[in-house]
Amino acid sequence: MSVQFFAGMAEAAGMRRLTIGWSGGSVAELRAAIAAACPAVGALLARSAVAVDGRYATDAAAVPATADVAVIPPVSGG
Amino acid sequence: MAVVVCRLVNGEIDTAAVLATVADVAAGAHVLFVGTTRGVTGDVVTRGLEYEAHEPLARSVLCALAEEAVRTHTLSGCAVVHRLGAVPVGSASVAVATSAPHRREAFAAAEWLMERIKRDVPIWKREEAADGSRTWVHPDGPPAAVVPERRP
Repeated sequence: MSVQFFAGMAEAAGMRRLTIGWSGGSVAELRAAIAAACPAVGALLARSAVAVDGRYATDAAAVPATADVAVIPPVSGG
Repeated sequence: MAVVVCRLVNGEIDTAAVLATVADVAAGAHVLFVGTTRGVTGDVVTRGLEYEAHEPLARSVLCALAEEAVRTHTLSGCAVVHRLGAVPVGSASVAVATSAPHRREAFAAAEWLMERIKRDVPIWKREEAADGSRTWVHPDGPPAAVVPERRP
């Protein structure tokens, strides 16, 4: 699975997409998998939302193996 | 049926055109808010700004917010335009236009929209300081909310 990073998170990770092995699970489990694969994003990840297939998802939501996932760090538009 | 416009743009925002999109003969109030990039914040000089977005999600959240504003504030029209990419200091980065039968709702809706845009829309800015260093801005506070999906 490919997880998309933005802004300061992409900068911290040194990449805009992280590829991890994922056979499905919850958003909370996916957060743990991302943190394990890319410890550099850990601090920001804890303050971030997760979008699954183009929608914000709660930690309890299911993330299928084929989902399109993006991590949304605290926003600063306007 | 109220006019709802939500857009991400890469060039200059034509603020007069944004206001014109919400023109309505049933409205007695037309409000235009323009957010501009600050060159000085206290003693800190910002040389330039750049915005990045998760574009599909930003578009869908912007549209959901605009539609909610129309519903809850009984607007005649609502337009939200955010600029992405490099934005020179002093230029418009965001424009919100609302129209309503009376001014109270038009002002309140514009204020509500700006609060929610700053909290929930996946757009980030990177500030370039006077010394050339560039920093992404990720404010403290709760993560972006889970907002209701846009209704078909």
